[in-house]
Amino acid sequence: MKLAKILRIARWEVTKNAGGVDRRTLGVVVVALLLLLAVVPIVAFSGVGLDDNLYRVGVSEESEFAPVVAEDETFAVIEGATVDDLESERIDLYVEGNQVHRVQSDKGAAAYEELRDSVAAYNERNLRQEPNQSAAFPVEVIVSFEEQTGTSVVVGAPGGEEPLPDADQDEGEAESPVDDTDDGPPMDEDGDESPVDEEDVPDEESADDPSEEEPDDTGEETRTDETDDDTATGDADDEQEAADDPESDEDHDPADDPATADREDGDELTGPLADFLGPLSDDGMSGSPADITPPFPFQSLVLAFLFVLPLNFVIQAYGSTILSERINRRGELLLVTPVSRTEIIAGKTLPYLLGAMALQSLLAVGAVWLLRGEIGGFVSILALIPLVLLFLGSTFLGAMFARSFKELTFVTVTITVSLTSYAFIPAIFSDIDPIALISPLTLVVRDLQTESIALSEFLFSAGPPTLVALVFFSLGAGLYREEDMFDQRSMSGKVLDSLAGPISSKWHVGLVTMMLIPFVMVTQLVAVATFFALGELAILLLFIVVAVTEELAKTLHVYAAYEHNRFERTAGSAIVLGAISGTAFFLIEIAILVFQLLGFTELEIGEALLLFSGVITGPSELLLLIPPLLLHIITAVIGTLGAYRSKGAYIVAVSLAMLVHLVYNLSVVMLFV
Amino acid sequence: MSKFSHPRWSILKRELSSLSKEKTIILALAIQLVIAGFSSFLVVGLTALYDPASAGGDELTVGIAGETQDQLLAVAMNRDDIEPRPYVNEAAAMDAFERGEVDAVVTGTVLTDEAQTVQLDVVVPAEDLRTTLIVTTLREYLTAVETIERQERAQELSFTPIELPEDTGEGSPYFGFTYTILIPLLLFLPPFISGSIAVDSMTEELERGTLELLRVAPLSVVDVVDGKALGMIGIAPLQALLWMGLLRVNGIGISNGGALTVVVTAIATLTVVIGLLLALLTRQRRQAQLLYSIVVLLLFGLAVALPEHPASTVAKLAIDSATVGTFAHVALLFGVAVAGYLFLRRYATGVNPERL
Repeated sequence: MKLAKILRIARWEVTKNAGGVDRRTLGVVVVALLLLLAVVPIVAFSGVGLDDNLYRVGVSEESEFAPVVAEDETFAVIEGATVDDLESERIDLYVEGNQVHRVQSDKGAAAYEELRDSVAAYNERNLRQEPNQSAAFPVEVIVSFEEQTGTSVVVGAPGGEEPLPDADQDEGEAESPVDDTDDGPPMDEDGDESPVDEEDVPDEESADDPSEEEPDDTGEETRTDETDDDTATGDADDEQEAADDPESDEDHDPADDPATADREDGDELTGPLADFLGPLSDDGMSGSPADITPPFPFQSLVLAFLFVLPLNFVIQAYGSTILSERINRRGELLLVTPVSRTEIIAGKTLPYLLGAMALQSLLAVGAVWLLRGEIGGFVSILALIPLVLLFLGSTFLGAMFARSFKELTFVTVTITVSLTSYAFIPAIFSDIDPIALISPLTLVVRDLQTESIALSEFLFSAGPPTLVALVFFSLGAGLYREEDMFDQRSMSGKVLDSLAGPISSKWHVGLVTMMLIPFVMVTQLVAVATFFALGELAILLLFIVVAVTEELAKTLHVYAAYEHNRFERTAGSAIVLGAISGTAFFLIEIAILVFQLLGFTELEIGEALLLFSGVITGPSELLLLIPPLLLHIITAVIGTLGAYRSKGAYIVAVSLAMLVHLVYNLSVVMLFV
Repeated sequence: MSKFSHPRWSILKRELSSLSKEKTIILALAIQLVIAGFSSFLVVGLTALYDPASAGGDELTVGIAGETQDQLLAVAMNRDDIEPRPYVNEAAAMDAFERGEVDAVVTGTVLTDEAQTVQLDVVVPAEDLRTTLIVTTLREYLTAVETIERQERAQELSFTPIELPEDTGEGSPYFGFTYTILIPLLLFLPPFISGSIAVDSMTEELERGTLELLRVAPLSVVDVVDGKALGMIGIAPLQALLWMGLLRVNGIGISNGGALTVVVTAIATLTVVIGLLLALLTRQRRQAQLLYSIVVLLLFGLAVALPEHPASTVAKLAIDSATVGTFAHVALLFGVAVAGYLFLRRYATGVNPERL
C-alpha cells in the first residue's frame, strides 16, 4: 500500500463528488440539512403532540374535570355528548361531577389512564402558581442511589455505610414502629443553625445522625468534614440544582451557593443544555415527588440517535459510489492500473471515513460543550471510530454484493436498521448493565456522563466492531475483482467467492476461521442482548445460535475453497483442513477467555457466553481444555468431510455438526450448572 | 386496443417483475418486520421499566424510619404495591438495605422552615434494572404522602387539587404508543421505500444508459415515468394493508382502513414524485438518493406546520378518533399528491430525452 496512491484516489473521489455540476447538489444538500437541523428541534421540543385529540371526551358542565380535559391536548371535547354516547363509542370517556365513565374497551381504559395523568399534571401546574410554594409542595424528596453490596456510589459518607453497633439491636425491635424522636431534635438544631442547608447536605446529615449521637453532637463541624471528603455527593447536589425547576431554585437562599461552590469539580452539568437534559446519569435527584423520574437515560437515547442518524447519509453516498464503479465497467479502468485493489478501496473509503469522523467529532465535542460547557469528548471520538468503520465496512460489502441500485437501497436500509439497533439498544441500558458495553455508543454515553472508562472496557467495546469492520472490508476486497464486480453472479456464489478469496494454502483456512470469529462473537452478543429478557428459553436459543454460527464459521470457507478447487477433493485433505480450522477456532476462544479472565470477571454474561462456547474453566486446569478442543476439531471435521463431496453433502454434514455441538453444550451445562 | 395495452403498463410490469426477481421486496418486508419487532421490543421493554404493574412486579419492601414514620407507614398500609417495614432509625434501615432485606429506605424529617416541609430521604439500589421499577413505585407512594401533607396545609392554598380518579390498573400504557408511533411508522415506511426505489430505478436506467434502448420503442419519457411511478406507488398501499391485517391479527384494532389506504397512497405518490424528479434532475444515484432522504425528512418535519401532522392523522384514523378535520387532511394530502403527480408529468414532458 502506498500512501500517495491512496491519497490520489481519495482526491479523485472528492473532486468527482463535489466538482462541476455536483456543486449544485452539494449546495442543495447543505441548505436542506441546515433547514432540517432547524426543523428537528422544533419537531422534537415544541410540544407538537402526535397524540393530540387522541381520545374523545364528553363533559358535563359542572364536572370538576372539565378544565383538566380542556387544557390537555390529548383529549378532544365532543360538544353536546351525553353518557349515552359511550354506548355507541362516539366518545371514549364521559366526565360528570367527580365521576369518570368510560367505554369498556382497551381504548377506554387507555383514555382513563391518560385522564389520571392529566389530572396529576393539572394539579401540579396550578399548585406551581400558588404564592405559598412550601404549602403547595410540602414534601421534598431526595433520592440517592446506593449499591446494596456495601460500596456506596453517591452517598459516600463512610459513617453512614458501616454497620453501626446499635444497628443489630435496632433490627430486633424493627417490627414495632419505634418513634425515634431522639433523632429528630439534633437534626432540627442543625436546621436552625443554618436554615439553608436543607438542599445541600441532607444525605450526610441524616445518614450520619446516629453516629453523630455517639461520638460528638456538634453537627456543624462533622458536616463540613464530610462534605470535603465526599465530592460525589456534592456533584449529585449540583446536578440536582441544575435539573431543578426554576421555581424551586428560587426557594433556595443564595447563601448556599458558597457552600456548594467549594465542592464543584467540573463534573456537574453547567452547559446551556444542562437545564433541559437534566441529570444524565443516576447521580441522585431531588424535588417534589412528581419531579422524581426513574433513572432511565432517555437523554442518552437522543444522543445516540444524534450520532447514528448522520451515518446513514454517509453510507448512502458511499454505497452509491462503490456500486457506481461496478456499473458499465467503470471500475475496470482503475483495476488495470498498477494500483492494488487494497489501495483503491482504501482511497475510495478514506474521504467518507474522514468526513464521517469530522461530523461525529463535531457532534461529540458539541454535545460535551452543550452539556458541560467545556471542550471535551475525546474518548467519545475514539469510541465512534469503530462505529463509523462498521457502517462503512458493511456498506462496502453490501455494495459489492448488490446487483442493482434497488438492491443496494434495501441493503443500506437493512444495514441502517440492524446497526442502529445494535448501536443503541445497549446504549439505553448504559447505566444499568455491563452488557451495554457491547456497543461503542455506551462509551460515548458514559463519556458524556463523565464516568470513567477503563482501558479494558474500551477495548472490549471497541474491539469486536473494529475487527468485524475489517473483516467486512477484507471479504469485500475478495470480491473487488473483475469476475465479481461486473458479472451477474448469484448471491451465494459471491459469498463463496468472498470467503475463498483469501485462501491459497491450507494454513489460510485457519486464518479465515480466526477472521470469522468476530462475526461469531458479535452475532452471539447480539443474540444475548436480544434474548436476555426471555429467561430459560433464552439459554436454549443462545445455544442454537452458538452452534449454528460456530459451525458455519469453521467450515463454510472450507467448502468455498473446495468449490474453487483450491484443494484436492479427498477425505484426507478434508480431515486436515477440519483439524486446522477447529484448532484455530479453539485457540482464539482460549485467547478471548484469557482476555476476559484478566479484565472482565465482573461481566457475568460474558462468562456465560464462554461457558456456552464449551470452555468451562480457567486456564489453570489444562486437562479440562481437551474436551472443547476435541469438540471443535471433531465438529469441524464432520463439516469438512461433507464439504469436499458436494453441496448437498455439506449441508447434511454441517447440520450434523451443529447438532453435535448443541448436544455437547447442553450436556456440559446439565452436568456443571 | 384494450385499455392495458398502452406501453406504460409494460413498463410497470417490468418494474414489478424486476423487484420480485431480485427478491428485494421480500427483504423490504423483512426489514419492516425487524422495525416492527424492534419497536415492540422497545414498547414492551420501556413500559415494563416504567410501569411495574405491566411487568407483574412484586410488592416492594420499603424500610421506613425518621420522624414522620407514622404518617409514612399509614400511607404505605393503604397501598398494595408497598410492604412497609418500620426501623428505629435510618442507620438500622440502611443496614437492612445493605443486607438486601428491604428494596428501598425512606426516612422522613420535618424541616424547621416556616412551612415545616417534610423532607424524605430516599435510598434506592444503584446500577440495577430494578432501580427503575423501584423508583416508579416509590414515586406513586411519595405522591400519595405529598397529597396528605398538602391536605393538612389546605387552608394556605387557594387552589384545591382535584382528586385523582381511582387507579384501575387496566389501561395499557403502550396503547397510545402503538397508535401514535408504531402504526404511523409502519404505514409511512412503505411510501418512503417506494420513493427510494423509484430513485434507484430511474437513475439506474440513466447511469447504465438503458433508457436509450427504451427510446427505440415507441415510448415517451412520460410513459416511462408513468410506468415506473405507478408501479412504485402501487406497492405501498399493498404493504400497508398487509400491516393492518397483521396488526388486527395481533389484537390491535385498526379503524378507517379505507381512509388509511388513501393516506398511504397519497404519501407514496408524493415520495415517488419527489424521487423521480430528483432522479431526472441529478441523473446520478448518489446525489438523487442523498437529496431524496433529506428532502423527505425535511418535508416530514415541515408538515408540523399543518394543523394536524400526517402522522397524527394516521393515528387518529387508526384509533377511531377521526374528526372532520382529520378527513379534511386526508383530502388535502390526496389533493397535494394529485397535483404533485401532474407536475411530475408536466416536467417529464418537457425533458429532452436526447440530453438524459
